[in-house]
Amino acid sequence: MSAYELNRLLFDLKMNDETCKAALTDFSRVIQHYDLTAEEKEALNGGDPRKLRQLGAHGMLALYIMRLHPDFRGNIYWEQK
Amino acid sequence: MALVAALAASHAPNILLEPGAEWEDFMKLHYRMAPHGASSKPSLEAQGKLRHDAEKAFAVLRADLAASNPDVLIVVANDQFVNFSFNNIPTFFVSLADEVRGRFTRHKFYYRNHKELGRAVLKAGMEKGVDFSFGEHVELQHTQVVPLHFILPEPTIPILPIYVNTWVDPIPTPRRCYQVGELIREVAVASRERVAIVATGGLSHFPGSPRIGEIDTRFDHELLELLRAGKGRALADYSLEQVLQAGDSEFLNWMVVVGCVGEAKAAATFYIPDHVATGWGFVSWRL
Repeated sequence: MSAYELNRLLFDLKMNDETCKAALTDFSRVIQHYDLTAEEKEALNGGDPRKLRQLGAHGMLALYIMRLHPDFRGNIYWEQK
Repeated sequence: MALVAALAASHAPNILLEPGAEWEDFMKLHYRMAPHGASSKPSLEAQGKLRHDAEKAFAVLRADLAASNPDVLIVVANDQFVNFSFNNIPTFFVSLADEVRGRFTRHKFYYRNHKELGRAVLKAGMEKGVDFSFGEHVELQHTQVVPLHFILPEPTIPILPIYVNTWVDPIPTPRRCYQVGELIREVAVASRERVAIVATGGLSHFPGSPRIGEIDTRFDHELLELLRAGKGRALADYSLEQVLQAGDSEFLNWMVVVGCVGEAKAAATFYIPDHVATGWGFVSWRL
């Protein structure tokens, strides 16, 4: 099955500041806007890029789930593209 | 008029990070993904030496570029999910914007986009069998601005961003990228202006891969040796699998410049592995 929706969400976390801000507030609500499988939703909530990659997310996009990780929210990594 | 300068340089973000707090914060994410690399992470002193060595290499490239007195700099790089995503991934893309901007931490970048040269590349491609995608807006990213910070810090001349898909399967072969470079050389020679070109990326690294943190220094040395010997054409015979296995997918950006220079020998090469993520490489051909 295509991981298009999964990659679309991760791309939005990278490129769309509004999506990222909303995800930091209420990720479950953001997830509703994407056509995801139960397994994909679980992996997104788990926050592990490796698991997302296994489900078909591109490795360079999977990393962006870490924007929501409490240890990395203010990381300088997000200040460049 | 002519192709007057040809360069290639890594665009690894940590080249432009200040040693110390910036480097450590940025790389914290890398070490989370590549915990085995954390054991060999550079000390503050080693970070400073890496930056110093990269600046020395970039100084040579900047001087060679300036000495060529170019009217425009073509920048061949890959997009990393900034302008393109899975709804549309162009294999080769030419920017026809009026101007291009980008940001890297506190650094801001602005350049005029030489869209007339872009149109000439598109037209030549249509006539000779390379159907580039094109568009009138792109945002610059680290794949362009890290090298530009060092080799063209002031926007004294326009640039022309050209993108190669090096990350999303299926990606073009080394031979195809070489052919695109041959085409760009023809356009440069037919141009009334002095055209310079830089390819960015590489060398060996495995971002977003289970092999993140590995660097195939042997393969990188092999590539640079061939460039010094003027045997870049031989690289067109390399299989895509060979290149990918070594973590050198971004060398496909370089292959476009290799196609431009043909059998010219690289005059200056530098290789600086950062020991944790990427083999930094820098080349000038002095045409």
